[in-house]
Amino acid sequence: MKYLGQIATVALKDVRAELRTKEALNASLAFALMILLLFSYTFDPSKEMMREVSGGLLWIVFAFAGTLTLNRSFARELPNDCLDALIAAPIPGSALFLGKCFASFVLVLAVELVSLPVFGIFYNVRWTLQLPWLLMVLLLGTWALTVIGTIFSALTVNIKLREVMLPMLTYPILMPALMAAMRLTTVLVNGQPIGEDDVAWLKMLIGFDVVFTAVSLALVETVLVG
Amino acid sequence: MSAVAVEGVWKYYGDYPALRDIRLEAAEGTCLALIGRNGAGKTTLLRIVAGFSTAQRGKIRICGKEPRETETRRLMGFIGHGISVYDELSALENLTLFGKLYGLADPKKSAHEWLERTGLERVRNGLVREFSRGMRQRLAVARAFLHEPSVLLLDEPFTALDDRAIAVLQRLLREALAAGKTIVMSTHQLREALELASHVALLNRGQLAFHGERTQEMVDDPGYVYARYGEGG
Amino acid sequence: MTSGLMLASLFDASVWAALAAAVAAAAASILFLRTRNFFYDSLALAATEIGLVLLAAGILAGAIAGRLSAGLWWTWDARLTAALVCWLLYAPYLMLRNAIEEPSRRAASAAVVSIFAIFDVPAIAVAVYWWLARRAPTPPIAVGWMILPMTLLGTALAWIRLRQEQRRRAQDAERRTAQEI
Repeated sequence: MKYLGQIATVALKDVRAELRTKEALNASLAFALMILLLFSYTFDPSKEMMREVSGGLLWIVFAFAGTLTLNRSFARELPNDCLDALIAAPIPGSALFLGKCFASFVLVLAVELVSLPVFGIFYNVRWTLQLPWLLMVLLLGTWALTVIGTIFSALTVNIKLREVMLPMLTYPILMPALMAAMRLTTVLVNGQPIGEDDVAWLKMLIGFDVVFTAVSLALVETVLVG
Repeated sequence: MSAVAVEGVWKYYGDYPALRDIRLEAAEGTCLALIGRNGAGKTTLLRIVAGFSTAQRGKIRICGKEPRETETRRLMGFIGHGISVYDELSALENLTLFGKLYGLADPKKSAHEWLERTGLERVRNGLVREFSRGMRQRLAVARAFLHEPSVLLLDEPFTALDDRAIAVLQRLLREALAAGKTIVMSTHQLREALELASHVALLNRGQLAFHGERTQEMVDDPGYVYARYGEGG
Repeated sequence: MTSGLMLASLFDASVWAALAAAVAAAAASILFLRTRNFFYDSLALAATEIGLVLLAAGILAGAIAGRLSAGLWWTWDARLTAALVCWLLYAPYLMLRNAIEEPSRRAASAAVVSIFAIFDVPAIAVAVYWWLARRAPTPPIAVGWMILPMTLLGTALAWIRLRQEQRRRAQDAERRTAQEI
């Protein structure tokens, strides 16, 4: 119980701080809208085209806009040396990590949930036909993004070229999860249920989340203390 | 069992030894002033004692336990170069946050108490971003003392403090010593530190050049230790 | 043996060699985190670097082979594509090392990346296969005769690189000591 309380304290602190300044949130949202606009210029969004690319487009938007938020996750602790105080506090490294994960998860999800209706409007797509399944894929995919983004945000917090290193490290690792999320999202946005062919992708996404959450938790102390 | 024990600590950066076989102790209720010129290894050693980095060889014991254990961290308070409080939160929010992280019974009450003791009660709802330098420093002190730590580790705490903050810190440190707490403080401000210190340790190029009780000669002439045991100033 | 087949065998062999390098690097990384002995850090670096070099050569060979046989510079063959993604996975390891000055921190951070990467390799292989190989059935990577010479070459190169890295570390320590004086 106390452990959950510690996770909640860290998570609420991050969310509250972000809502005060809204720096990452605004940048992330603006970026998402920009990408959606730019792509609609690139090709004429016909029905057939959208059938194929909706999942890919959406997850490119989510991944790229999400990185702006995830980068800030540990970077926000740098001014005033707050990271020292968090590491010194008597909470397990895993509680600090999970608290930050949940905070980033909520913030990234917020941007995604705003982007979806905008996507629907710009591209004239009815994306709500398989809403419960779509939301589930959204949650699973966003967790993958968040876990990897947060652990590497911690890893790169003190190094040169942090803003460059974070995407360079996280995108290749995320590829299997992104591919799964893209495929599943395309299917669901088209209004189709997840068929036999695609259940494997769902398993891949869940497996990815489980394995990499475990690996992150196992290595979190090393990442924080060195 | 001493409050802080450094047992044969070596710290390497690659193959280069930044700290060589450091052995020292601080008994409960004492105040150890860690002195040495820039680059001697004071901050490195203090951060290892506090649990921010690990030594390749040797051990640290805080009241007989590992510094990274959760229970041990509860006993320690650290003031480093930064103030370690959040600009976007208010003074009260900051202290309440740390109160919760340290598992205090009533975080809000403790927060109010320490804002009072550092003279920040009036500005408790102000965002730290808007504080003056002195106010920020006093809040940093409040944060470190909030959970009543038994062992206080301070890295050059008097550097860049204004007069009011120095007075507050000195008062709190004296009260802590009177209450039997232990202090290890690295410093350049020899005079302020030597006034409080019961023991002195001199680090020179990663090695312990002197470790013993503070004498009257040291207080009278702070450069004495350097001249006698170090390499002059 | 035609040049096309030769290049394809080269590609196959380099993939296996790179895989061996990745596993060696991960093992060395874990051992480093356990023992904090910098020998393992040097070993992980050497293995990763040589693995990346061999894999790059292999990918190039595979692309040329594809050009010779199918007329395309990139055939979107599942094996070739998966190899490329894995190369992109490990390249940031070297970038990360360059971005961290302090040796202990650099070694620990690199070790973490190496461990994450090895868990990702099977996921990438499977994901790329599902993506590309379902419609155009692709055989798995062949175990050809080139594996042995390739692995020996890789091991020799890694050994040389390892010695070089150990010498560099010793020199770095001397330099830091000299700066002190």
